[in-house]
Amino acid sequence: MENYLIAMCVSAGIYALMALGVNVVWGFAGMVNLGLVGFFAVGAYASALLTIKAHWAIAGGMAAATIVAALVGAVVALITVRLRGDYLAIVTLGFAETIRIVASNAIWLTNGTDGLSGIPGPGRGTLSPEMFNLVYLAIVGVIVAIAYVMNERLRASPFGRVLRAIRDDEQVAAVAGKHVTLFKVKAFAISSAALGLAGALYAHYTSYIAPDIFVPLLTLYIKLALLAGGLGNDRGAIVGAFAVVFLLESTRFVIPYVPGITPVQGAAIREFLIAAFLLVMLRYKPTGLVPEQPTRLPVPPAPRYQPTA
Amino acid sequence: MPQTPREPRRRFLASAGALALGGLAPALVRAQGEALQLGVLTPLTGAGGFDGPRMAKAMQAVIDEVNGNGGLLGRKIVLVVEDGQTNPEAAVRAARKLIDVTKVPAIMGTWASAVTSAVAPLCWESKTFLTTVSGADSITKLPHQGYLIRTQPNNHLQAGKHAEFIASMGVKRCFMMSIQAPFAQPTQSRATEVLKEKGSQMVGTLIYDKDKTTYRSEVDQALRANPDLIYLNGYAPDVTILLRDLYRAGYGGKRFAQSYAVTTKVLDSLPHEVTEGVITVQPSADVTSPAYELAKKRLGVAEPDSYETQATDWASLVSLAIAKAKTPTGTGIRDSVRSICQGSGQKVYSAVEGLKLLAQGKDINYEGASGPCDFTEIGDITDCKFRYNKVENGKFVLLKVA
Repeated sequence: MENYLIAMCVSAGIYALMALGVNVVWGFAGMVNLGLVGFFAVGAYASALLTIKAHWAIAGGMAAATIVAALVGAVVALITVRLRGDYLAIVTLGFAETIRIVASNAIWLTNGTDGLSGIPGPGRGTLSPEMFNLVYLAIVGVIVAIAYVMNERLRASPFGRVLRAIRDDEQVAAVAGKHVTLFKVKAFAISSAALGLAGALYAHYTSYIAPDIFVPLLTLYIKLALLAGGLGNDRGAIVGAFAVVFLLESTRFVIPYVPGITPVQGAAIREFLIAAFLLVMLRYKPTGLVPEQPTRLPVPPAPRYQPTA
Repeated sequence: MPQTPREPRRRFLASAGALALGGLAPALVRAQGEALQLGVLTPLTGAGGFDGPRMAKAMQAVIDEVNGNGGLLGRKIVLVVEDGQTNPEAAVRAARKLIDVTKVPAIMGTWASAVTSAVAPLCWESKTFLTTVSGADSITKLPHQGYLIRTQPNNHLQAGKHAEFIASMGVKRCFMMSIQAPFAQPTQSRATEVLKEKGSQMVGTLIYDKDKTTYRSEVDQALRANPDLIYLNGYAPDVTILLRDLYRAGYGGKRFAQSYAVTTKVLDSLPHEVTEGVITVQPSADVTSPAYELAKKRLGVAEPDSYETQATDWASLVSLAIAKAKTPTGTGIRDSVRSICQGSGQKVYSAVEGLKLLAQGKDINYEGASGPCDFTEIGDITDCKFRYNKVENGKFVLLKVA
């Protein structure tokens, strides 16, 4: 049982890192990225290939995955710079599918649909499976904590303020002298970096990746986590990620006690519950479990008008 | 008035929540109960949602029979079914639950190759036995230390058998057109090898891209080699176009394809003269085996298919291996599975029959509904039957099962 709980916490931690990353573009800057699983895949493949084929250290692979994903994110942001709202969503969705199809067909590099197995993990094989899980949980925990602190600093900084200004009204931000494109590209790169690192963490944890893992379902889980936790809010992103994993997993234990249903019906009910949860959230608590607090800047008292003599 | 409906709704939500939480506690307690729990991880949703539920049902039928005859090691068997969702990420979480919470000694039923490859490392690291239908050659080459068997013929075995059949039809010049997929290259090279052994010849091969609207240039290339049989190793959408283009080009020789590439739907979408004489092949249950007859009765199905019979065999093999090892552990199953399904013991065709003989201290050799169930060192089956059909007038006619 403990081992299972630890493994689920690792999953939730990886989801949380992704949610924190997406929060930068979606929550702060208001850009909808439905292709987040594509950046996750880029990070996973980058780190897996570097550690398997080029025999890099795991930490090196993860660092490279972060950088590669950030660069890909910047390129995608430049391509989509004139798109907003639904159009941006569709193009990023297409980007993720492109990555998946490339991974399926570039067999010389990615081993195609067979996937890459035997990706090394820190201490895998020498530690017991339980110890390995614990060590990994510690690594994921530290990374999520760092990402959280960095995100919080980002949010409070002038940079974060500009992103929120872009979210609320791009033109006003531009009129105020902000280089909107540059801010968007930077935000996308930062966000993708977190997604890429999450991908690398996933690859080294499970030791196996294949194109079939990087399907839009995972994107939806992260969106759900952000909506549940509270968009634009870093604590909410983490709370939401854990809530989603709890929801996915707890239904597993409840369904067998519903009398008179077959396993197939049980599986369908589980999927239904997840959809129902999202709808109920959006209807009754659209701001999420931890709503975003409006930032209040101290307004200096207006200087009193002093007539000149 | 508009306020009134809110109250019952809230009460409903509250009671539903309480029910959900209440349900959680006994689940954890009962997981450590008396029954012997075995894990089932088939896809119940997603692309495998057609085969998975039938496989789970077939396993349950065997287990019911064993339970009705006194159970295993004096205990009732309970199958704990989780949904693999045909998704490696979801399947890994489900497998973690089966391994760490339910603590099953065996997980039966992974279907997609990517799911099996993702779940297998968890299984061998936690010494849990895994049985699968996934066909990718790479799966049994994983460092699984014996904790994995598959009852599905891999590409290597399939390609060899197909080539033997082609040669046995008196074909002298064979050409192979394959879709770009992991199996393309290995299938071509194995078929070439076996054709040569059997006195036939592969006069050419090519690999084509999927999703094209015409394959005229590929067909021209194939016809230049003047083959008397063309093996169309693709999927339904592209093989449909290939059959049409071959007909237009006036090709009069034999055509051979996997049954998943020439389905009844494909036959309906093409004129009869285009599909006339096409030969299809699929891994088959061993329809002549007494185990197959027993599976028919047990399932109440006229013709159990390959997946249902393989699932029947997993439940039987795992039960027998546990009985032989006298302990329900993954390592016990791994160490004893080959001693109950191959060798010189008395042939048995069901788990119940085998359990009786094992109780008497006899050696047994389980012969399954899907085939003889003899495994190589890396967990591949050594032999398997195939079903060959021929298209006549837009309908499939059975040629033979061999």
